[in-house]
Amino acid sequence: MGSSTNKPELIVNGKRLDGRGFADLRPMKIIAGGLKNAAGSAYMEWGNNKVLAAVYGPKEALPKHTQDPDKAVIKCKYSMAPFSSLEEHNRSGPNRRAIEISKVTREVFEKVILREDFPGSEIDIFIEVLQSDGGTRAAGITTAAVALATSGIPMTDLPYAISVGKVGDTLILDLNKAEDNYSDADMPIAIGPRNNDILLLQMDGSLTKEQISEGLTMAKKAGESVARLQREALKAPYERILEKYKI
Amino acid sequence: MSRIVIPGEVLVEKPLRTENAMIEDNKTFSTVLGIFNDEKGILTPLEGLWYPRRGDIVLGIIEEARLNSYNVELSSPFKGIIIAKFVETRLQRGDVVEAEVKELDESKTVVLMRPRKLFGGKVFDVKPSKIPRIIGKASTMLQQIRDGTKSSVTVGMNGRIWVKGGNVELAIKAIHKISEEAHTSGLTERVKELLESPRQGV
Amino acid sequence: MHPLNQVKGEYVRELLNKGVREEGRDPFEYRQIKITHSLLPNAEGSAQVEIGNTRVLVGIKLDVATPMPDKPNEGNLMTMAELLPLASPEYEPGPPSPDSIELARVVDRGIRASSMVDLGSLFIEEEKVWSLFVDIYVLNFDGNLFDACMLAAVAALSNTRMPKYENGEAVRTGELGRLKTNNIVTSCTFAKVGNKILLDPDGSEEAVADARITIANDEKVVRSMQKGLAGAFSQEEVEDLIGRSFDKSKELRGLILSSKSE
Repeated sequence: MGSSTNKPELIVNGKRLDGRGFADLRPMKIIAGGLKNAAGSAYMEWGNNKVLAAVYGPKEALPKHTQDPDKAVIKCKYSMAPFSSLEEHNRSGPNRRAIEISKVTREVFEKVILREDFPGSEIDIFIEVLQSDGGTRAAGITTAAVALATSGIPMTDLPYAISVGKVGDTLILDLNKAEDNYSDADMPIAIGPRNNDILLLQMDGSLTKEQISEGLTMAKKAGESVARLQREALKAPYERILEKYKI
Repeated sequence: MSRIVIPGEVLVEKPLRTENAMIEDNKTFSTVLGIFNDEKGILTPLEGLWYPRRGDIVLGIIEEARLNSYNVELSSPFKGIIIAKFVETRLQRGDVVEAEVKELDESKTVVLMRPRKLFGGKVFDVKPSKIPRIIGKASTMLQQIRDGTKSSVTVGMNGRIWVKGGNVELAIKAIHKISEEAHTSGLTERVKELLESPRQGV
Repeated sequence: MHPLNQVKGEYVRELLNKGVREEGRDPFEYRQIKITHSLLPNAEGSAQVEIGNTRVLVGIKLDVATPMPDKPNEGNLMTMAELLPLASPEYEPGPPSPDSIELARVVDRGIRASSMVDLGSLFIEEEKVWSLFVDIYVLNFDGNLFDACMLAAVAALSNTRMPKYENGEAVRTGELGRLKTNNIVTSCTFAKVGNKILLDPDGSEEAVADARITIANDEKVVRSMQKGLAGAFSQEEVEDLIGRSFDKSKELRGLILSSKSE
């Protein structure tokens, strides 16, 4: 969110600076799998964001005091590479922002993973943002969900995430970095598409009650295409082989 | 008709008791990436984990030799244990053993029995969900690999495999092929071709 | 060490006793190497290198900074390596491990010693120089990180854009030139298992290696060396390996150049 006085025009002739309409998402690509050592992994390009996610476990939770005798504990680490932005070098190491994102991301997956199946164990989710252009937490959650599915860890749902923002009085979806810097509100949302459960909701800036409900509706509608892409990515490696042998 | 399903996807619009699925609002949903057979109502996971069952044969690595018991690494969230008095010769850390699951006790420890130490050979992990296909109906697929490579092959339900002697690399290649193509039909034929192709000769 | 790696290592030893290596690899043969250039446009330079199942990524950034007090007329070179927990079940989140520090410093010395980048040319004006950040990300571990990271760092430097300096700040948009590079340095890492020496050890081979040596050279001279682990090499062995490193480096240099033009 920017409070800059020399704020650029983000909407010109009813279009956004990159030519998108208000509810348009950036182009996306998801590849399931890829990291050989991980139990599950996925890679996603969302606009200029490039995100890698990997899952390890379930395995014995260590140190022992972190164990929950009734269910698996989820550990999540989101981090941004020091070379990920177009601006200056970011010194690595978890900062306060990354720690918070790791926490809210963890909570999304605590809801959907069938944790009771693995008492005493831990499941590690690692999200590495290799290149960032706004909306990396949404891309991270969307990618991690695919990585979890490829690990075979049972889940009640396959969440995705998307961000809603506001420029002047206009709601827009999927803010890129430039929009994120100067928008009047930012609202990342994660959704479990099975029942449209809201699994993550954060907001800052200014939005009316009506704008929030409109934003949520826009996100769910556009999210159908994100969910479809996740599904296609998961099925692709299997369908490729079926195709190869014409089965 | 079989179709690929993802976690959260509706299998049928009615309650159906089947593994790897959940029932909510009188509908049945998948909890895994799997193949669902509509006629049989069976959901087979494509990726996945091993749940210990009595009688399962597993391959483990001795992680710690204690006075009365051995801790066994099983490439799984579940820890294995062998009671020392049921073993004739003393085992050591790093030994590879084939053993049978006696039970999964309350603390989610897999109690193992009848351990057999495996000497030498190559040990590697595949996805446990692929093991049934690697073994095949009445062990046909596994026997085909053994015959075609002259290797000793032991398969653990926990996704761990041991290969020794004969054409080890060809055996591994065949196992990886089955693992990648486990969801397809006509696989036995294609594995046979691989094993018989002249440049793979033993 | 993970018990499975140890067991796999024992198999490697068993094979070596029979004089063979997994997949029928020659003792002095690399696994398949793949170099991908400029895959992260936000970074000033980037490259990914795969050697077999080992996969590493290097990103380059350039920032305006103040020079080190002892080198007021030179830019700063900072090389860091992250053994990301997503790369191996044995990597844990947390502060840099001795292994990651050694890895970064070996790559750093190779770049510095070869004068691949003239740090004097990164001087801007009094009290202002460019800081050149080489960040190494290990994405999947299967042995021989040294050569993979050296290749990735050199490849990334060779495709790095040079930001402009305007009013005390770095400008990264618009027409930009290239970071000038003067040399190509590559490294060859050998592992010794018992009395056998192997180029490009994979994860299982490293698990049972007694000693390791990395030799970095350009076309003419050796630029840096690093011996690791508890075992030893004889002088004859080191001399022999230097010769082999010069031989192999022709292939590696060729790969960097040919991958760039793709």
